[in-house]
Formats: sequence, structure tokens, C-alpha cells
Amino acid sequence: MPFATPPVPPTPSPDGEDVEEGIGVAPGVAIGPVYLYTGGAYQADPDHLEPNEIAGELDRFERAVARSERELGKVVTVARQKLGPDTAAIFDAQLLILRDQQFYDAVIRSIREGGIGAGWAVQKILEGHQRRMEASPSLRLRERAGDFLDVQNRVLRNLQQGRAISRIDEHHIVVAQNLTAADILMFSRRGVLGCVMDLGGPTSHVSIMARALGVPTVVSLHELTGLAHSGDTIILDGFSGRVVVGPTTETLARYQTKADRFARIQADRADVVAAASETRDGHPISLQANIEFREELPLLDEYGAKGVGLFRSEMQFLAQGTALDEDQQLEVYRDVVQAASPHSVTIRLLDLGGDKVLPFGRREPNPSLGWRGVRILLDKPDLLRPQLRAVLRAATNHSVRVLVPMISDIGEIHGIREAIQTTRGELASEGIACADDVALGIMVEVPAVALMAESYAKDVDFFSIGTNDLTQFTLAVDRGNDLVAGLYRELHPAVLGLIQHVATVAADAGITVSVCGEAAGDPRIVPLLIGLGVTTLSASPAYLPMVKRVVRALTMDEARDLADRVLHQPDADAVRRLLDEFLASHNQDLAALLGLDGASEPAPA
Amino acid sequence: MIVREASRFQAEFFIRKDGYEINGKSIIGVMTLAAEQGSTLDLVFDGPDEADAADALADLFEQGFGEPI
Repeated sequence: MPFATPPVPPTPSPDGEDVEEGIGVAPGVAIGPVYLYTGGAYQADPDHLEPNEIAGELDRFERAVARSERELGKVVTVARQKLGPDTAAIFDAQLLILRDQQFYDAVIRSIREGGIGAGWAVQKILEGHQRRMEASPSLRLRERAGDFLDVQNRVLRNLQQGRAISRIDEHHIVVAQNLTAADILMFSRRGVLGCVMDLGGPTSHVSIMARALGVPTVVSLHELTGLAHSGDTIILDGFSGRVVVGPTTETLARYQTKADRFARIQADRADVVAAASETRDGHPISLQANIEFREELPLLDEYGAKGVGLFRSEMQFLAQGTALDEDQQLEVYRDVVQAASPHSVTIRLLDLGGDKVLPFGRREPNPSLGWRGVRILLDKPDLLRPQLRAVLRAATNHSVRVLVPMISDIGEIHGIREAIQTTRGELASEGIACADDVALGIMVEVPAVALMAESYAKDVDFFSIGTNDLTQFTLAVDRGNDLVAGLYRELHPAVLGLIQHVATVAADAGITVSVCGEAAGDPRIVPLLIGLGVTTLSASPAYLPMVKRVVRALTMDEARDLADRVLHQPDADAVRRLLDEFLASHNQDLAALLGLDGASEPAPA
Repeated sequence: MIVREASRFQAEFFIRKDGYEINGKSIIGVMTLAAEQGSTLDLVFDGPDEADAADALADLFEQGFGEPI
């Protein structure tokens, strides 16, 4: 388990500790030695190989080249679609350099005959070519010298990565400037205690992955890589977002208690997973999982999810830079549907645009208000049609719901409904099995939709509230913008009022309403959402046991009373205080873990 | 461009200049050669589709191929 305590007792720092505030994106408390995972400057060292190391080095080189080739292949595809053939040609040339027989043979020869390390050989050989290009009388060739440097950096990075990773084990906390989702997946397989990053935000892909895999993670620490050294003892608190480098004996003891408490909560998780998800007075609350990769599917049972409340189909798309074809999508959806069976799966149609980079389209001055979500789908039948076909086919004999992102106009619902009908007709005439009907729902993330929920309730089968965008649009705050991010408050009474309105309308119309943003996985906010009338919560699987503990600790009347009081508060800070008090009075263990018991430390703003 | 075009054919392709020879399917070779501009080149093809390869590459050279690769 990533939450285990390290086998070696950590050493307290004699000369003071560094406490840094970041954003906790995956829960857990970890204490252990730092492994500084660096990118950036790729400089090889001249190492000499023993004869028995040569075969391994050749293999390491080949894997680094293969990995570089895959990366470049992806870059070429994206560049061709997004930037045009001229830019793509640059990367295409790099791909040719990478697989050039002359270069390849020279490196192999240096390793095999000269006993020279792969990194040093690559650097020497490509530097030589680069210098020859720089000396050319032709401007065009001089400009190409940089290609050799780019290839060199790429191969060296991949060589170093292979080496660095083999040194990381389950006692480490990885500290890096930036990590990718693939990095987190790899570290999780090596069983690291946790990850800490200088960059990143709570909704970035890497954070979602860390949550999904249950790797305690704190992001957005700015300069931490400059403060921490490999081997330093570090404390990571994935709840408060706090990181302590070189903790004192006192701090260590305090966090050890916290880590033990978390371990205890983890230990009796099996009981919670098996228990019914209902309030103390017997009101059922449906707990579902947000999923984006097939790798996460085993987590459904592990964390007791009753179905998939949000399958983000765009992640497959973004990972390879182009849409999967119908059959590829079908294969993915079938896996998801089968893993969730007999519970339902809600597939959100491609939610592109906004902060998600598009391989087509152009730069927009204001992308979050631009061409995104359903607006793209209705303009691009070549994206919508194969997806609808795959969804309808996967839905045969299964409970599948279709969720439409970024609705802002009722006509968009009609457009999607028509497309579904047409697609069903096509499949039927081709004799391909598909579902007779699928439930159709919308993301409520634009205030206009929330305010007019009555009209929409007549046309759709369910509402799913996207708290991130709803907050950003209601408060006119771009949370990715550091200058104003402090104004982004999902607990703002204005946002909560909209949620209550949507929930009330849904209850009157007899349709389900769920929340599938991060708020649904936050034990502090869950009582409020239930009190506001939300009946389904969908969160990253790792959060569900905690959410269920909270659900089982309260009664519906208490939750409604909390919601009433909250809606009369003037601002988000006052709301936060009420929520903290509520949780502290209902689940002390959880509240203490979140730093709300007053004994440990104040909760971060 | 030369490299991509030449790689379409099975025939081996060498470019000779001032007594030395480079592999015409190697981008590094071609770029190294091009780095020292302005001299006479011999193109040598050897393989089952050598005639087609020679025609295609000759066309490319005659068009001036706008790009040194």
C-alpha cells in the first residue's frame, strides 16, 4: 500500500524545518526520504563500462531510442494537424536523425568496442554533427543544427529516466518539478509513498491520475525542488497540501499520529466498502466513480463504487492526439460497461476545448467561453457520429447513460437527440446490435442552464452538476490564472444557491441529479451537497470510502439544516467554517485527519 | 526529402563526392554532404528497382528540392 510507514525511522532535522504550502490533490499522509527526480539539463557523464555491463547498456540505449521514437511520432502527428506540414517536417527530420543508421551504428560501436556509456556516446556523436552543421556556409543547414541538440536531449532524457526509475522504490517520496500522468502510473507500480511537484493544479491530468491510483500527492509547491535534496526526510500531507522538509522531532511525532490515523481508516476500509451507502436515518445516496482509463476499472470494486458516474472519454483522445475510431472506442466502452455491471455507466461525450488542447482548431482569445464541449460535437459530425455509434453498441443490454458537456442552449439537446436517433437508425439498417434507448443527460455548468433548469428538466433524463466550471462562470474567475485564483471559491453562496435550485427542480421533475466534480469527493462538502438535495455523488474511486463514512454519520435532517444555514452566509469563508464544524461534530477521526479538530493545525484557506 | 524519397525504394543509394561516398538514405550523411556546398555529385543506385529510384531522385535533384533533406 502506498500509505505504509517507512521501515527506517526518519531522522529529525537539528537545524529547523521548511514548511511549504501547496495543493493536496490525492489524500494520504506519507513520511519518508526524498527522491529528487530531475528533468531539465541533460548532460551525460563519461562512464566506462565493465564487460558484463555492455549488454545491459545496449539494451538501455535501444529502449531510450524506442521511447524517443514513440514520443516524436506523437509530436509529428499533433504538429501536422495543429501547426501544419512545415512545422511537422522539423520533427519528421528529427525522427530520421533518431533512426539514422550512421548514428545508431556509431553509438552501438562506441558501447560495444569502446566500453563507453550510452549517454556519453550519444552526446559526443550528435555534438560532432551539430558542430559540422553550425560551420556550414548554408543558413538553412546552420538552422538545422538545433535538431541534433533536440534529438540529443530527448535520447539523454530517456536514458536517464530509465536509470533514475530503477533506483526509486517503495520507501521514497518522489519530488519533481513536473510529472506526467504516465510518470505517476509508473511510480505507483513501484509503490512509492507519495509524490510532490513544483507545478500542476488540482484538475490537471496528473492530479486526477494520482487520485485515481491512491498515491498521496501535493502539487503547486513552486520552488520545492530547490529546497529538497535526495535523502532528506520529508512529510507530505495530501489533505492539507502541506509539505515539511527536514521536520523537527515534534513535527515528526505529530504527523506520525496523523499517518497512523490514516492507516487506521484505511485498515477498516473493507468494512466501509461493504456497508450500504445511506444516511443514518436510511436515505440512500448513490456513490459512483469518475473514471478515465481502463487501468482504473479494478478500483470500482476495491473502493465500493456502484457504477461509473462519469467516464471522461476525452482522455483517450488526448493521450493519442486524435480520436479513436468506432471500434477502438467500442472496445474501451465495453470494458467499462462490463467492469461496472450490473450498475450503470455514464459516458460523457468528448469534452474538448477549454483548457484541453485541441489538435485541430485555432487559438482562441478566451477558450473557456469558446469552441468547446457540445459546440464542437455539433460542428464536427466526424467526431460525434463514431462516438455515438460506439456508445449505442456498447449499451446493448446494459445500462448506459449519455452525458452531454457544456450545454448552454436548449437547441443543443435537440441536436444531440436527433443525432442519436439518426445513428440508431443507421445501426439498425446495417443489422448491427445496439441499445434501443439510452438515458440522455446534461452537464449543468453554465449558470444560464442552472437558472432555467425547469425547461431543461422536460427534455433530459438526468442532470450532472460540474462544480468546477459552474464556479468559474458564476464568479467570473479563471482559476488557472494566479492573479485571480484566490477569488475562485466553489463554496460561494451564489454557486451553492444554483446547485440547490437545480436539485430542487430535478426532484420535482423526478429525474436524478448528481455532482461529479471534486466537491463530491471532499468529506467537508459532502454533507452540504446532500442537504442541498443531491442524491448521487461521483468522485475518484479512492475518495469513496471517506465519502461513505460521512454519509453514514449524518441524518437527512441534519444535512438539510446545514444547507439552510449555509445559504444564509455572506461568503465562502463563513460557509467553510460551518462545514468544518459540522464534520468535526460527526466524524472526529476524519476531521482530525483533515486538520479540523483544532488540536493539530488550522485548515488551509 | 532526398532521404524520404530514397527510402521508398529497395535499391541502395549512395552519393559520391570527391572520392568519398555517403549513404543516401541517411539524413546525417546527406546533411553532412550538403554542409559543404557546390560540387559535382555522382548518384549511385544498386538494387531491383534501381531504374525507378534513379528517375525519382533525378527528378528531385532537377527540381532543386527546396529543402536539403
